Amino acid sequence: MKLASWTWFWYVLVGFIMGGGAVLIWNTLKNVSLKLVWYEWILLVIIFITFMFMSQTFIASFIEYEPRAAWLTLVFMGIPILIMTVALFRSLNKRYVADKRGQK
Amino acid sequence: MSKKTHHSTVSRRDFMKMLGVGAGAVGLGAAGYSSGFSDLDEMMDSPLAERKLPFWVKEVDEPTVKIDWDNMEIFQGPENTLFNPASWENQQDYFDIYNRNIQSTREKVQNNVPGHSLRDRALADANCWGWGGRSGADLAAPWDGAHVQANPQWEHPTMYYTPEQYGVPKYEGKPEENSRMLRTAGRILGASDMGFVKLDERTKKLLWGKITFEDVEKGYAEPEKNKFVLPNKNLWAICSVIPQSLWMQRYTERMSWASSNTMSYSRANIYANRLSVFLRGLGYQSYGGDTESVGRLVGFGVMSGMGEYGRAGILVSPQWGTDIRTVLVTITDLPLAVTKPIDAGITKFCKVCKKCAEMCPSGAISMEDEPFWGGDTPSQAKGIKGWYMDNKKCYSYMLGGEPDCSRCQTVCPFTKFDEAVLHDLIRLSIGSAPLLNSAIRKMDDVFGYGEEPDLNETPWDLDPLDIPIYGLDKSRS
Repeated sequence: MKLASWTWFWYVLVGFIMGGGAVLIWNTLKNVSLKLVWYEWILLVIIFITFMFMSQTFIASFIEYEPRAAWLTLVFMGIPILIMTVALFRSLNKRYVADKRGQK
Repeated sequence: MSKKTHHSTVSRRDFMKMLGVGAGAVGLGAAGYSSGFSDLDEMMDSPLAERKLPFWVKEVDEPTVKIDWDNMEIFQGPENTLFNPASWENQQDYFDIYNRNIQSTREKVQNNVPGHSLRDRALADANCWGWGGRSGADLAAPWDGAHVQANPQWEHPTMYYTPEQYGVPKYEGKPEENSRMLRTAGRILGASDMGFVKLDERTKKLLWGKITFEDVEKGYAEPEKNKFVLPNKNLWAICSVIPQSLWMQRYTERMSWASSNTMSYSRANIYANRLSVFLRGLGYQSYGGDTESVGRLVGFGVMSGMGEYGRAGILVSPQWGTDIRTVLVTITDLPLAVTKPIDAGITKFCKVCKKCAEMCPSGAISMEDEPFWGGDTPSQAKGIKGWYMDNKKCYSYMLGGEPDCSRCQTVCPFTKFDEAVLHDLIRLSIGSAPLLNSAIRKMDDVFGYGEEPDLNETPWDLDPLDIPIYGLDKSRS
């Protein structure tokens, strides 16, 4: 497969994943009536930028004939993304649970 | 009412600078662009004359390699350089290796060794055409430029007309405009980048010693007497970076298939002719010929800011790493705005990196931490504080029956395909935060950069449309 010729496809795919993720987060927050506080906004933006950067490096490394660099990029950037995502989720969940208790 | 549009003259580098100095400076800068210049110096200092370098690359007054101009040794000619017999104390050693190469190459062809089969050799030779010493394939221009003339019986009767033939004066432009014009032409004619050095008392020492200056209108050569003459007037060295295929370098263990480097020399010769014809068409002189005609190419590359002096003794470009074949030097009397040496943190990085030295199969590259003053062997130039390659070890490996080699170029952390944005961030770090250099070198290894590709992969099995034309992939050109 001529990976370089399909570059547009992979980037569009990343765009769909990021767009879908953004819509999912937006809808979920709306449904549970939660608003992000400032540090959660910062975390979310960092997660999105890092994910975008990781995706670009992952795709580009294959085009550069460097598969090891591609997979290690997933490890080195994917783990921080996971940690930040878990931290964001826990923070939101904590407030959601507190709100629920307050309502009771 | 017609709307006048302007193209921005502000590069990314300018923009970052402007961010640093604030809005006031932006205003002053804008005023500077719109007003006239009071003198040549002011004009040459203007952003209009600047090259568009990556923003982490600084222009500096003195190159990052220390040069003792007072004690700079002048080399007589290319025979002093690394791979020529004159730089060997015992010339028989040189020719023994030479003969072993003939023998081992014949054996490989006879045994159909992958990368060295008859079809591999034939393709390699076809790649090289245009370059090749006295092989009959050499397209190098004569010393005083390409000898072309209009053919009135052809369908393009004015092709190769000079300004006199058109009945117009020669092209006149400000030095900055001329430099910009040449950079544009250079890209079209086949150079990755271009810099300009004024020949003065210092930089003349980078010319071969056999080149002399005379009070003549036009330079000339008497090759049979090894005499090459430049006219005694203001002259500039056009330093053109000739790209080399990194795609082909992937098959460095099978260089006889790819011949990445020799093909670049072939393109360099064609390019030199084209540049010469361009200057002739403008009404100006050009001198040079091939890559060995003018002088020390790394020196000119450093002085023109095309790169920095690296550990392997070769030029390292901030954009293309060591995977450039040569800085082709053409001398001209077209007035040009000079380009300064650069500091992209490359020489500093070389101090801690040493990857080329560690990966060199012949152990020819110095492992010394700090650069040192050379001059111990005929191929080392006195007056430069750098790292020096053991030319005998390198040459012995390359021709001594082992595969051809360009590994120092391929493994250099600056040599990368340029698809991933990550590489720009790494270069930014090297240029601005040298403390991280050691970690960057380690990560370069961990990520697998510079490793030899699978030797079972053969380019003959690829879809031909996957092969970049001339081997020059778009990410690096």
